[in-house]
Amino acid sequence: MTDSIVDAKLELKQASKEFKESENVAEKYSAMTVSKNSDVNMNVGELSAAFTAVPTHKSVKKLQFASQEEKQEFSKFPTKTGRRSLSRSISQSSTDSYSSAASYTDSSDDETSPREKTQVNSKGSSDFCVKNVKQAEFGRREIEIAEQDMSALISLRKRAQGEKPLAGAKVVGCTHITAQTAVLIETLVALGAQCRWAACNIYSTQNEVAAALAETGVAVFAWKGESEDDFWWCIDRCVNTECWQANMILDDGGDLTHWVYKKYPSVFKKVRGIVEESVTGVHRLYQLSKAGKLCVPAMNVNDSVTKQKFDNLYCCRESILDGLKRTTDVMFGGKQVVVCGYGEVGKGCCTALKALGAIVCVTEIDPICALQACMDGFKVVKLNEVVRQVDMVITCTGNKNVVTREQLDRMKNGCIVCNMGHSNTEIDVASLRTPELTWERVRSQVDHVIWPDGKRVILLAEGRLLNLSCSTVPSFVLSITATTQALALIELYNAPDGRYRQDVYLLPKKMDEYVASLHLPNFDAHLTELSDEQAKYMGLNKNGPFKPNYYR
Amino acid sequence: MSACDVPAESFAAMAEDSELHGIPENVLQLGSSVPPAPQHSDAECNPGTEASAAEGSWSGRWVLLRLLDQAEARHSAYLLAPKEASAVLEGTVPEAPRMDRKIQVSEQAQVFSERRSKAVCCSLPPSSSDSCSSESSEGKTSPRYMEQVNSKGSKDFCIKNIRQAAFGRKEIEMAEQEMMALMTLRRAAEGEKPLAGAKIVGCTHITAHMAVLMETLSVLGAQCRWAACNIYSIQNEVAAALAEGGVPVFAWKEESEDDYFWCIDSCVNVEGWEPNMILDDGGYMTRWIYKEYPHLFENIKGIVEESVSGIHRLYQLYKTGKLCGPAINVNESLIKQKFDNFYCCKETVLDALKRTTDVILAGKQVAVCGYGEVGKGCCAALKGMRAIVYVTEIDPICALQACMDGFRVVKLDEVISMVDILITCTGNKNVVLREHLELVKNGCIVCNMGHSNTEIDVASLITPELTWRHVRAHVDHIVWPDGKTIVLLAEGRLLNLSCSTVPVYVLSITATTQALALIEMFNAPEGHYKQGIYLFPKKMDEYVSVLHLQSFDAHLTELTDEQAKYMAINKNGPFKPSYYRY
Repeated sequence: MTDSIVDAKLELKQASKEFKESENVAEKYSAMTVSKNSDVNMNVGELSAAFTAVPTHKSVKKLQFASQEEKQEFSKFPTKTGRRSLSRSISQSSTDSYSSAASYTDSSDDETSPREKTQVNSKGSSDFCVKNVKQAEFGRREIEIAEQDMSALISLRKRAQGEKPLAGAKVVGCTHITAQTAVLIETLVALGAQCRWAACNIYSTQNEVAAALAETGVAVFAWKGESEDDFWWCIDRCVNTECWQANMILDDGGDLTHWVYKKYPSVFKKVRGIVEESVTGVHRLYQLSKAGKLCVPAMNVNDSVTKQKFDNLYCCRESILDGLKRTTDVMFGGKQVVVCGYGEVGKGCCTALKALGAIVCVTEIDPICALQACMDGFKVVKLNEVVRQVDMVITCTGNKNVVTREQLDRMKNGCIVCNMGHSNTEIDVASLRTPELTWERVRSQVDHVIWPDGKRVILLAEGRLLNLSCSTVPSFVLSITATTQALALIELYNAPDGRYRQDVYLLPKKMDEYVASLHLPNFDAHLTELSDEQAKYMGLNKNGPFKPNYYR
Repeated sequence: MSACDVPAESFAAMAEDSELHGIPENVLQLGSSVPPAPQHSDAECNPGTEASAAEGSWSGRWVLLRLLDQAEARHSAYLLAPKEASAVLEGTVPEAPRMDRKIQVSEQAQVFSERRSKAVCCSLPPSSSDSCSSESSEGKTSPRYMEQVNSKGSKDFCIKNIRQAAFGRKEIEMAEQEMMALMTLRRAAEGEKPLAGAKIVGCTHITAHMAVLMETLSVLGAQCRWAACNIYSIQNEVAAALAEGGVPVFAWKEESEDDYFWCIDSCVNVEGWEPNMILDDGGYMTRWIYKEYPHLFENIKGIVEESVSGIHRLYQLYKTGKLCGPAINVNESLIKQKFDNFYCCKETVLDALKRTTDVILAGKQVAVCGYGEVGKGCCAALKGMRAIVYVTEIDPICALQACMDGFRVVKLDEVISMVDILITCTGNKNVVLREHLELVKNGCIVCNMGHSNTEIDVASLITPELTWRHVRAHVDHIVWPDGKTIVLLAEGRLLNLSCSTVPVYVLSITATTQALALIEMFNAPEGHYKQGIYLFPKKMDEYVSVLHLQSFDAHLTELTDEQAKYMAINKNGPFKPSYYRY
């Protein structure tokens, strides 16, 4: 029950936050910064209290979910791909490493807010604000582990270290602060940039990583479990410094851009570009651009081809099996599975399940995708036709109420129901909370819902995203994202004047290709080069781009 | 060989005189650069659809038919009486020499666009030559000088022999059974006659499958006149059956070049009949009308063009501002592209390898050059047969995809001495060189799925020290002085066209796409399509898919109103933004 209270409160708070944000942003800021007694702050206080009271892994995740949903409201016409990557941009590993980080940190620390403490790193600098700079050594270890999985970024670092393509760049960033991000930040520093960093999510920060960054001289303002007030204070500290004016912005969620836009519009005069990572932030940028208020070029890295493929197809292809195995230890061979939706996520799930010998049916609304499913050898059915026979129902439509109570009523005993799609709307879980049904928590993320006649349906992660709740995002995928961000920064910073105007751009195909090529050594893959003659015949540059822009 | 190049060369000559020839730019790129507004937004492209979609309560499937309401219902003089459905031709069609096909493939379309898309290959007919068994009995008089009358007393056609009609009818009926989607469209729209008043002049391959399309158009209310776009692909008996059914057809197999243009002219140049739609494959018809009867363009409501080369010509016209009507590029239709490249090649690569070499694929080491749509198809199929597959690629994005799909990405040099089978599908030239072939091991099979005959440097193998042994149709053994033998398939030309067939299902996709494009153009409100070249609207792509889903017994789920609202899409599509590439 406490969980749901936390949830409810959080949702409430975030709903109100959202409302205010979309209604009148300025009002919101004044409410938060000026009047300490406002309802918003009250809520935040209660919330963090409740949160510390129930420090389970799961509640952290829930909180993240709620915040995802909140963001979703923002974009009125979210595409499927958009939704997927939104979920990804709230970095999974951040919550995971929360649990690992917990082992070194929380117990030892007092409750004083880091804002009140003055800390000094070994170089004598105190221009940072983290939980405890003494944890730096642990954080360094985390970063080193992450570096091993992010060889693309490391090789970018090595290749460009000499030229220092970011020399003179002053990057102000607002992202999840995790070991993977730290690798990105240190890469940017190695390429010549000066960085100041804040967290884009109050829960995802790895304190010891922040400490390690602070120790090396990056101005980091972040700790886990900041209050909302702290959150904006941290962002403000990043931007509002004497004799240091940012000329690049790296954002995840658009909060930083927003803050700069509202508080320090003069900064934009010097800013050469914004790199935005999340769907929400991109959506905000498009809105600004539409209203003619965007005064610098912005790069949408979320929709880069490579990143989209990894976020959806490849990542889900692996995590569907992982998520199901971890939670249920089910054997897939010969099982009848119905997958709702045959977009990128659905394609990944179907491929993986088929490979393990499951009998897979697909439901689809889009005839083109349905035809693809047919041609790939999957039976296209309506859910009602097969719901009685199937052993597993997996939703990945991005829609809502795809599996309704009525269908759950007809499932056979032991049917596994889970969601790979988006948020927690796809399975109508609320309809299962009725008196005649008994819920039994079997293990973490696994609930048995028992009908009066004894039939059980196994619901995973309470209908939330299976791959985020019960599986992890591989560092390789995060490496794709981080590399894309780094290249977008380099591109924007070094672009000749006039190439980018005040608009939102997609990452150029050439950069996408570069991201891909940096990751190829991981597979020991050897790219063929065009001969001059062949390049001429194809009408291509030998070094790319190799495909027209609309090629996907 | 040389005779068959005639139309292509003459076309090239025609092209040259207006400086259209030899522009080494990709058709696709032209497409993206030329008319930005119509090309890139399906949504904008089709406001009529949206509008009528908002009102009206129809079950998603017949969206189209509602669109066509404006078309006045009218009986067509060309409505065909349905034949008895019982006739199913017994026995198999005689195995035909496949020579014709490879000729069509290798040379014809290439003259116009230096860098072609792979889809060219499938716009050519698969089974054209398979059924021409009855010619030997015919006299040598050119059909131009014979007068023939069909059973209704009409003489408005010109074909080899009208008496073959019954045989051709059987062919058509067989094709009808395989082309369920088109038949469904026919039945569904028969009442509304969305093409009533359309006068379509067509120039396509004349095969049983195209006959099904023509008759469908007739049933939907159109008047058609038809010529052939390729002098070898004509099935005489099918042409006869069409003529008997009342469609003025001007085509016979192996017409001369002179005859070829005479036939096209006969289609257009009739008193009291002016075409208002053009269905073209290769651009010859458009070109002819443009040259000889430019005034006809005043009435033309739209051009539907099927081939890459034809599209290329249209873009040239558009660039010079000479295109005086809207055109739809059906070749780039998303669903057609997928089928032409990915699905089709996935099946044919195995089929062709088996037919030609009877090789067992499991455990064989295969190098596939190129990981585009064709390469993805080939790799998937070969992996399914448990071959060990290596990929070579130049584009890092595609290379990464190959890695993630579980294929080793290598350079050809690294694996060339190990592989048992070498398949090219890059669309480039000289991918496999003599020096590579020197290194391959004894018995290696070398073939090309990609494009034309440029990928393998076959010319370099024609040297005195190498012995060529023709083993069977499309299989050559090339023997090195030391006894090493490599197996070259189809002399380096397209394997899937030379040694396998294009499934009827794929043809059905194409034909349905063409029919819907015609309907869309004909019924679009005035001014909806301006002068320009449009992509096939996504909504229509979806409709083509709906029609084809039936053959899989696939049951499409429908959105509830609530869900549609949540997703902010129309319940009846389009379901994806226009940039979504599936």
